[in-house]
Amino acid sequence: MRPETLKGHLDGMLLAALEPGPRHGYAIMEVLRAGSGGQFDLPTGTIYPALRRLERGGLVVGTWSEAGGRRRRVYELTPAGHHTLDAERGTWRQFSAAVTALLEPAPRPVTS
Amino acid sequence: MTRPPGAPPGCGRPLPPGHQLVEDYLAEVGARLPGPGRERAGIIAELRGGLLDAVDAYRDGGLSAPDAATAAIGEFGAPGRIAVAFGPGLALSQARRVALTLLVTGPLIGLLWATAATASHIGSRHTPPWQWVGALPGSLMVFPLAAAIATALWTALFTIAATGRATRWLPDRPRLAPGTAAVAGFGAAAADIALFVLLASQLTVAPGTLAAAPAAVAALASATRLFLASRSARHCLTTRALLA
Repeated sequence: MRPETLKGHLDGMLLAALEPGPRHGYAIMEVLRAGSGGQFDLPTGTIYPALRRLERGGLVVGTWSEAGGRRRRVYELTPAGHHTLDAERGTWRQFSAAVTALLEPAPRPVTS
Repeated sequence: MTRPPGAPPGCGRPLPPGHQLVEDYLAEVGARLPGPGRERAGIIAELRGGLLDAVDAYRDGGLSAPDAATAAIGEFGAPGRIAVAFGPGLALSQARRVALTLLVTGPLIGLLWATAATASHIGSRHTPPWQWVGALPGSLMVFPLAAAIATALWTALFTIAATGRATRWLPDRPRLAPGTAAVAGFGAAAADIALFVLLASQLTVAPGTLAAAPAAVAALASATRLFLASRSARHCLTTRALLA
């Protein structure tokens, strides 16, 4: 799937990837990749600016951690992030139901 | 000793195989990032951690160290693309920092000039300080001074409001905050110029009325801010242009 297709949905997916608990950037990318069955082929480097944007908006909070001599920035959902994720889910369900209704072929009338 | 955020682990020691490719890539990304050095260093440190995780994942998959590094770099994307993606965030951080600095230093510099004015007044004529400015030959400069201070103050406040938590509700216009921060910086610089004109006119007409030490301190503070504020404003404009 092309990155342009994901435009507008990336923030919600990042928030969803953080819902189970704190993760660093590469772990979040692995969640997205595994969760989409490899469909989301974003350049991994573009995840990091999106995480910083969410942090600036107060939806996630980032802290530095160091393990095995490697420094990672670990992100965690804030209460505002949980709230936004719930709202994104509601919006997505409405949107996807409407698009599915329009794109799916209508059942052909039964002729006797 | 704490390692700086952007520094690779074990700086000075030879890098493990493949890691030099990662460092070269990070250097290329870093060279393209605009904005404050500290924030850029944090970004590079974060990217390094992710890239090395990716290298490890490819090595676990059976690739050699150089091949794993090449694959990880390819997965992260072209340096130019990464830098462009970070650009708006860095521009907002830069604008916010400039605006906050101006809001903190503005009252301090105002206080220094007020002290100089009051001290000069008490020493010369024993009249209240609010009459001091009106008695100056260059008193007309008070109007541009007030306009410059008002411009700097309101644009700095707007910049701070537009670069904080509110960003999640505001339209995505990353060029706005660097522009308003630049106006705030130039506004502060214009206020300093107006203060220097006032000082020069006082020195020309009635040099004996000035309290030398407080006036010199205020002038030094204003000169420093004039230099730094105009430089920061130019940097904001440069960053803004890169977002075009």
